[in-house]
Amino acid sequence: MDLTLDESQEILRSTFSEMLERECPIKLVRECEDTGYSATLWSRYQELGAQIMGLPESFGGLDMSLLELGLVAQASGRALAPVPFLEVAAAGRLLAGLADGDGDRPDRARAATEALAEGTAFSSLVLPRPFAVLGTQSRVDAENCERLVPFGSVADEVLFHDGHALYLIGGAERRRSARLEDSGSGAIARWGLSEREHDDCVVLARGSVAEKAIARASAEWKLLAAFWLVGLAQRALEIGSEYARERIQFGVPIGGFQGIAHPLAEAATRLDGAELLAWEAAWAGEAEPARFEAVASMAFAWAAQTAGRTTDVSLHTHGGYGFASEYDIQLFYRRAGALASIAGGAREELQCVAALSLTGTATNAPPFTASERKA
Amino acid sequence: MDFHLGEKADEVRREIRAFLTEHFTEEERQRAVADGGGHDWDMYRKLAAEGWVSAGWPKEIGGGGRDPFEMLTLYWELCKAGFPWIGLLNSGFIGHTIMALGTEDQKKNLVPRIASGEIAFALGYSEPGAGSDVAAARTAATRDGDDWIIDGQKMWTTTAHVAQYIFMLTRTATLDRPHRGLTLFIVPTDAEGVDIQPVHTMGGERSNAVYLTKVRVPDSARVGEVDKGWAVVRFALGLEQAMGFADLQERFLEKASAWALEEQAGGERPFDDPRVREQLGQTAIHTEVARLLRHRSTWLSAEGMNLGAKGAMTKSFSASSYLEDAQAWTRIGGPAALLAEGQPGAIAEGSFEEAFRQTPVNSIYGGTVEILRSLIAEVELGLPKSR
Repeated sequence: MDLTLDESQEILRSTFSEMLERECPIKLVRECEDTGYSATLWSRYQELGAQIMGLPESFGGLDMSLLELGLVAQASGRALAPVPFLEVAAAGRLLAGLADGDGDRPDRARAATEALAEGTAFSSLVLPRPFAVLGTQSRVDAENCERLVPFGSVADEVLFHDGHALYLIGGAERRRSARLEDSGSGAIARWGLSEREHDDCVVLARGSVAEKAIARASAEWKLLAAFWLVGLAQRALEIGSEYARERIQFGVPIGGFQGIAHPLAEAATRLDGAELLAWEAAWAGEAEPARFEAVASMAFAWAAQTAGRTTDVSLHTHGGYGFASEYDIQLFYRRAGALASIAGGAREELQCVAALSLTGTATNAPPFTASERKA
Repeated sequence: MDFHLGEKADEVRREIRAFLTEHFTEEERQRAVADGGGHDWDMYRKLAAEGWVSAGWPKEIGGGGRDPFEMLTLYWELCKAGFPWIGLLNSGFIGHTIMALGTEDQKKNLVPRIASGEIAFALGYSEPGAGSDVAAARTAATRDGDDWIIDGQKMWTTTAHVAQYIFMLTRTATLDRPHRGLTLFIVPTDAEGVDIQPVHTMGGERSNAVYLTKVRVPDSARVGEVDKGWAVVRFALGLEQAMGFADLQERFLEKASAWALEEQAGGERPFDDPRVREQLGQTAIHTEVARLLRHRSTWLSAEGMNLGAKGAMTKSFSASSYLEDAQAWTRIGGPAALLAEGQPGAIAEGSFEEAFRQTPVNSIYGGTVEILRSLIAEVELGLPKSR
């Protein structure tokens, strides 16, 4: 057993942390509240090779491990960086795999990977929700199939699996909304995904090739999102603890009251577990691939639950000030909730955990309601 | 980064599973549950004969020289199998302590007898008036020539009714500076003035209350210096806190999972219900996190690094998450979840019923979660002392 980072991993982490300290002060996060995206900051990321970190060398990539991608995600989460790192990493690796693999259109996958690597365009992805709660998304086969897409307001193309085939869907026509106002100040937009026989819609793969590709990409996104949430929550806990040490009431620092101290301690405990689980999932991606999707799902569900709890406790520690826009803790609280929900939320994810752990797949899990079963 | 415990630990897992298969039959397991005392001499001596009682001690003094990952695996497998292992756990620790702090005489006379399985110990720390505040112990040891006279009462002295000795915390100075006036003695359970009474619990475990009336022990029964017993106790509690219950959580998860996948009369499985899936996901995560926290504590020990409050985190998380899951499954399982193992109609082999009764104590003994959270807040978050 070894829970240390090697030297190159430490360097990677500090490179991004230092860049973010310089380029992504909380002031920038606040300036991006209305867009959820900073093109300037994203170009700093690209200068450090963020978009090619996880790509194979054949695309000029750096062929880094999931743990290394995770460290960048964690540093980004700490800084609340308004950049599409998770989407670019997961979509890029999916596209690169189909460019070299046995999909239907390796040429299109290759072109999309190259554009992403060069930084001229990027794809986001629609995260599959096999256990979506009824009424929270339109049906795949409905005429006006639309989905909320993370960084959909700035993505050039979207990867979408409809249960049969994996599509690469592009073009301004498809983006049905500008950036939508959301509680996490993200860059979510609505994309239209029906009429998939049109020219702006390419089948990249079908059948089991498509299923495996989207399952892996979804698991990688979730793993990296877990790292992001862990970083976010660790910073939120620091802010909350610092406030508890300094805020004086009844003549003493409030952190000396068990009513304040114990929830923070419990959050710290659960958060340590979330970091360990994210590490384990990243490690499993290479060492125990058969377990990877299940552990990545666990890491995401737990990070979502833990980041929600930690940011809530830290905000509450601030008393009324935590609710004031002027204080930074509310930025963390809102973003923790948003990133957890964009993929369906922790309760849906728990069902994925069960399905992946017990049956090995979350794609053909049993129907979730009687009415669905009849249909 | 590597999450494998290593080949030596894998080997221990194979060995101890083989031991359990051979000696610890289903009949033995049920006997251990019915007895609830946490120790079985017959089983214990079989373990000792294969060197497991002294497995964690250094080789130089006749131990097995097993590393922390091997010991973790040993305890994990025994506990998960329902083996009555408390005597083993106490012996492992007390052997260590005597070797570190005991007199030459104690090392020569007691250590080999512990290793061979001849004798076992109970831990005598808690008292009716000293629970979480264990340093407030009032059981008094007073000098009388070359002897000491012990008077007082101990509580929660599990295995005292089967052990030959109690490793006992006593007060040898005034309460003014509670942590500095404590001394440890090895008290024979058959000494005159020792009265052991059972304390039965809703979890099915039998513990004890021990009354001490003018119990005379020689000075040679003292372990460590007079008034310096607190460090020894802290060390012992630290060991216990770094473990948690992930092994039991793993067994619980396996039972819940197996039940969820059982086809019912209509061909449906509990797993097909989203409420069951959701709780399975939660229980699987809790179990995995408890396991990882315990592995981290073990790794820190193996590397000789400072545990900080990481041990406290391990126990606090494991205790509270296991309790939460036990109660959650009871809420899901309806009346069938009330039924004990072996009753017709019991589900998950009665494990929901059993865990519902057994888990509340986990967040209490060996350091309540409140004590642990205060420690975490102080050590990990730099908050002021909150008690």
